[in-house]
Amino acid sequence: MAVIKALCIRNLKAFWRNKPALIFNMILPFFFIFVFSSIFAGAIAMMLAGIIIATSFDSGLRVSSSTIDDMTSGFMKEVLVSPVSRFTIAVGQFVSSAIIGSVQGLLIYIIGVIIFPDIRPNSPLTVILVIASMAFVGLIFAGFGLLLASKSKNMQTFQALSMALTMPMTFISGAYIPLFSLPVPLQWVGRFNPMTYAVHFFRDVAIVSGDEIMKYTLAREQEVLQFWGLNITPTVSVLILVVFGAVFLFLSTMTFTRIDFSKMNRNIMDAVEMWS
Amino acid sequence: MTRPIIQVKNFTKRYGSFEAVKNISFDVAEGSIFAFLGPNGAGKSTTINTLCTIFEKTEGQLLIDGKDVSREKNAVRQSIGVVFQDSTLDKKMTIEENLKMHCVFYKVPRAEIEERINFVLDLVDLKEWRRKPVSALSGGMTRRVEIARGLIHYPKVLFLDEPTTGLDPQTRNHVWEYVLRLQKEKNITIFLTTHYMDEAEHADDVAIMDHGKIIAHDSPFGLKKQYTKDRAYITTSNAPKFEDLLTQQGLNFEKRERYHRVDVEDNAKFLYVLSECRVDITDMELRKGTLNDVFLDITGREIREGGNA
Ligand SMILES: Nc1ncnc2c1ncn2[C@@H]1O[C@H](COP(=O)(O)OP(=O)(O)OP(=O)(O)O)[C@@H](O)[C@H]1O
Ligand SMILES: [Mg+2]
Repeated sequence: MAVIKALCIRNLKAFWRNKPALIFNMILPFFFIFVFSSIFAGAIAMMLAGIIIATSFDSGLRVSSSTIDDMTSGFMKEVLVSPVSRFTIAVGQFVSSAIIGSVQGLLIYIIGVIIFPDIRPNSPLTVILVIASMAFVGLIFAGFGLLLASKSKNMQTFQALSMALTMPMTFISGAYIPLFSLPVPLQWVGRFNPMTYAVHFFRDVAIVSGDEIMKYTLAREQEVLQFWGLNITPTVSVLILVVFGAVFLFLSTMTFTRIDFSKMNRNIMDAVEMWS
Repeated sequence: MTRPIIQVKNFTKRYGSFEAVKNISFDVAEGSIFAFLGPNGAGKSTTINTLCTIFEKTEGQLLIDGKDVSREKNAVRQSIGVVFQDSTLDKKMTIEENLKMHCVFYKVPRAEIEERINFVLDLVDLKEWRRKPVSALSGGMTRRVEIARGLIHYPKVLFLDEPTTGLDPQTRNHVWEYVLRLQKEKNITIFLTTHYMDEAEHADDVAIMDHGKIIAHDSPFGLKKQYTKDRAYITTSNAPKFEDLLTQQGLNFEKRERYHRVDVEDNAKFLYVLSECRVDITDMELRKGTLNDVFLDITGREIREGGNA
């Protein structure tokens, strides 16, 4: 427990001290809001919900990219040579990711509510649900990210992989552009994208009842999401995510606990040798 | 020999098909300083990384304090401290944060953490730097922080992979003072690797490694005795008498322009010759064999100092 807490504090500090990344990550979502809200005029609430959850998704992945950083900078070696079990370390990374995911999502939510007062939450319960959902999404995608990190073993591969996966995952999920407005083949891709379900249930949680555009969007999305007649309600979406999350948390923990360090970092060492 | 705290039997490590360490065996006595001496690529780091559970062995048996390093990883990890060849500090964090984190990992009792941080920082003279981020420190300071961190949980064995490479001579001496002080005060076993001959001289035991094999293993004194000769450089005003006496005593020598170079294989005989010729001798110098000579004698090559490939 003490170790998990220490890892979380450390990751939060690292997140906080990396000012350029912090500022960039706070500005980017608003850039998206302004771009897309000029296209989908009046759909601010819907946009904001999508963007917030995409931010939590991003933070989930970012914690894993910091894991890769720690592996290449050597700090992970210090962690792994200590008597702390690798399982505990993986859990520490997941929990950090959940915390950072919700902190960042929440900041954007607060700024969003200040700029667009008509989307303010209508009950404290909504706020609690919103925070819980952001933590949930941060946690699930941390599993996904750690799996990528442990498989790729160096920064270049990881960056290439995560670019190749995160772009389509955010754009074909309905977060920015609703799925029903995409061509049918992309709608199919969207159905197999776990992010789609995160966006789907989060909108239901975060949105002020009575927002007409939102209701309309939700209804249209729901039509797209039908699977052979099975209706994907927000609750079903949460269940899908739970299953997806469980699988990925399990797989990534397994892979992470089995990394053999003698097979790691070779290309980085080669690069260093080349220059020395 | 006191109880061996590290036991390595027939250890082999392959990276793919490349054999980096080839069937080596050795023991390290508890409380001693053990040095691995060898050129780049000899397999020193590979052995250290395997002993401290980070790498998987290919074959053989490695025990620390009686515990198998591949089967009882956590027990082994609790009892060792490691300073890797490349820095493993958390550069974004301060010295204090690094040390505290380490204490949490090694379950140092909460009430003792503060005291131990003070103790180790005092040991490496970095008290005033406590709240500075590691990225703001010089290379030598970084190394000292790592040594401090490796000690803070009072390990039984401290592994130091090239602790002083890249440090200036003054800092190197400092680091050595700490290491020796520790070994004496806390009876910690120290296992280190180095390219520097003079550093290996501090060790109780030296294993010379080359191309994945241990080619000699003894105390520095024993190694030098076996592989090197002490040589005397004598200038005398009566060369014929000196040469006669040397021949008579069976001591090998070479005559050079200004002096005689004598292989001092037997001190008693050499002293006898000296005392017989004492009035004629105008200058003399005695050179002890070095570990460098040992390496040269065994491999026919010199270890390149400095360590750059
Ligand atoms: N992770 C790895 N994968 C493949 N080969 C490796 C790996 N690590 C080391 N080697 C190879 O194994 C051999 C021994 O390397 P090692 O790092 O143990 O040498 P060393 O004695 O520590 O040398 P140095 O003095 O340069 O630190 C070298 O030829 C090296 O190229
Ligand atoms: Mg090495």
